[in-house]
Amino acid sequence: MTRLLDLGLDRIHNIIMDMAKLSESSVLTALGSYEEGTRIKSQIFDWSEKLRTLQEEVADLAIELIARFQPVATDLRFIRSCMEISYGFSRFGRYAYDIVDVLETMGSISDCDKSTVLEMAGTVREMIQLSLHALRSRDKDAAEKLYQMDDTVDALYRKYLREIITPQSQQDKRFSDPRCYVSALLILRYLERISDHACYIGDSVHYIRTGTSSPRR
Amino acid sequence: MGSKESFSINNSRVVEPLQDNADGKSSATVKQYKVSIRNLDAWYGSKQALKNINLDVKANTATAFIGPSGCGKTTLIRCLNRMHEMTPGAGARGQVILDGINIYDNKTVDPVIIKRRIGMVFQKPNPFPTMSIYDNVAAGLKLNGVKNKRLINDIVKESLEDAVLWDEVKNELDKPGMGLSGGQQQRLCIARALAMQPEILLMDEPTSALDPTASSKIEELVYNLKKNLTIIIVTHNMQQAARVSDYAAFMYLGELIEYGPTNQIFKNPQKELTERYISGKFG
Repeated sequence: MTRLLDLGLDRIHNIIMDMAKLSESSVLTALGSYEEGTRIKSQIFDWSEKLRTLQEEVADLAIELIARFQPVATDLRFIRSCMEISYGFSRFGRYAYDIVDVLETMGSISDCDKSTVLEMAGTVREMIQLSLHALRSRDKDAAEKLYQMDDTVDALYRKYLREIITPQSQQDKRFSDPRCYVSALLILRYLERISDHACYIGDSVHYIRTGTSSPRR
Repeated sequence: MGSKESFSINNSRVVEPLQDNADGKSSATVKQYKVSIRNLDAWYGSKQALKNINLDVKANTATAFIGPSGCGKTTLIRCLNRMHEMTPGAGARGQVILDGINIYDNKTVDPVIIKRRIGMVFQKPNPFPTMSIYDNVAAGLKLNGVKNKRLINDIVKESLEDAVLWDEVKNELDKPGMGLSGGQQQRLCIARALAMQPEILLMDEPTSALDPTASSKIEELVYNLKKNLTIIIVTHNMQQAARVSDYAAFMYLGELIEYGPTNQIFKNPQKELTERYISGKFG
């Protein structure tokens, strides 16, 4: 016989899976926009808002399930983690919007060197996919891999930051147009934050499975 | 309780602690705990109700025994004050070590003394039906030969205060105990147990017959009483176990499946059977 709590847990799980798809699409579409120069701010804004609404829905449902059923053990850990994961997905949406907002604000950056951003975007794409895979398959070991990838992302971000503030950068063609390096730096920062949230999703999966934080956290 | 003047049948050191325990463990190891249960088996006739229970209970904590009906929770607490053996055909084997003394060692331990040191509160409130509120609390003292009226008065008052009942009954102590509400009757029974100055209080589903308000009063009482007592509570209510206990023991089919800090048992049980039971997936 199905527990009444299970009906609520299924509902919360379905919302989280919807958020997973939408947040992944938001970030990938925003990155595609950067790469190809398309303008899709309004669509990403709608998705970001939808993610925020779904996050509130998860929080409301989680509180209701706790109040009505006093869940324990894996059920309780799952509910707590869903609240954290849904926050992570809503941040994915927000940073996706910030990326396209930068593109709108800066105007055309088609002549800029995009290599660093695209390099980081490739890693972050993999991280999003890995975190979603971890969530779907309840893979507790993904957290460690995600943190290793996050180290790469952090290093890339710091390297770029150091480059643009050194005196030699004045001579570097990549840094001649402020629109290029300001947009790149902002987008790198947003990607770095997305990378952090992908790690937190991995952490949450680890917590659901084991009841402890992942070793890196 | 702490300020209460001891009466003449003070039980606290009727028997001196043993130097060594029969199982070979040094008494220093066992004495870290108020109660240590070692290799305890219990039967009703040929039916084994407890199988090799091993458990240590720290002083001034509340420990909850949880598990489905028939798992042995009540049998286990009845073994702790030697009530189990009063059931016709029932028997127990093993050790229950209270402050370093095996209470099943008939050479050195008087079961009557054990029952004084370990009080018990039952599922249904059971005040003595013909007695007043005052006499219900004083009965144990009088039966044990305490005659000093002033001392009895003091202990009755303090016991009722400790059971958070004094303010509600102080002007009607001569009225029948049975005239109180269910929740008040249960607190009267707790006061009656406290009057004997027990070191351990066993509570067998003490709120199962009470409404939510009366239940929360008993839960608050458990929290306050453990400052001076060690409490062991049997409950079917998972949320109650989570609220009131420091440690929880999950039992199933007469075996102790898992025992640990309540926080761990309810957030991250180590055994799948525990997880399934506390999550309501069986039982």
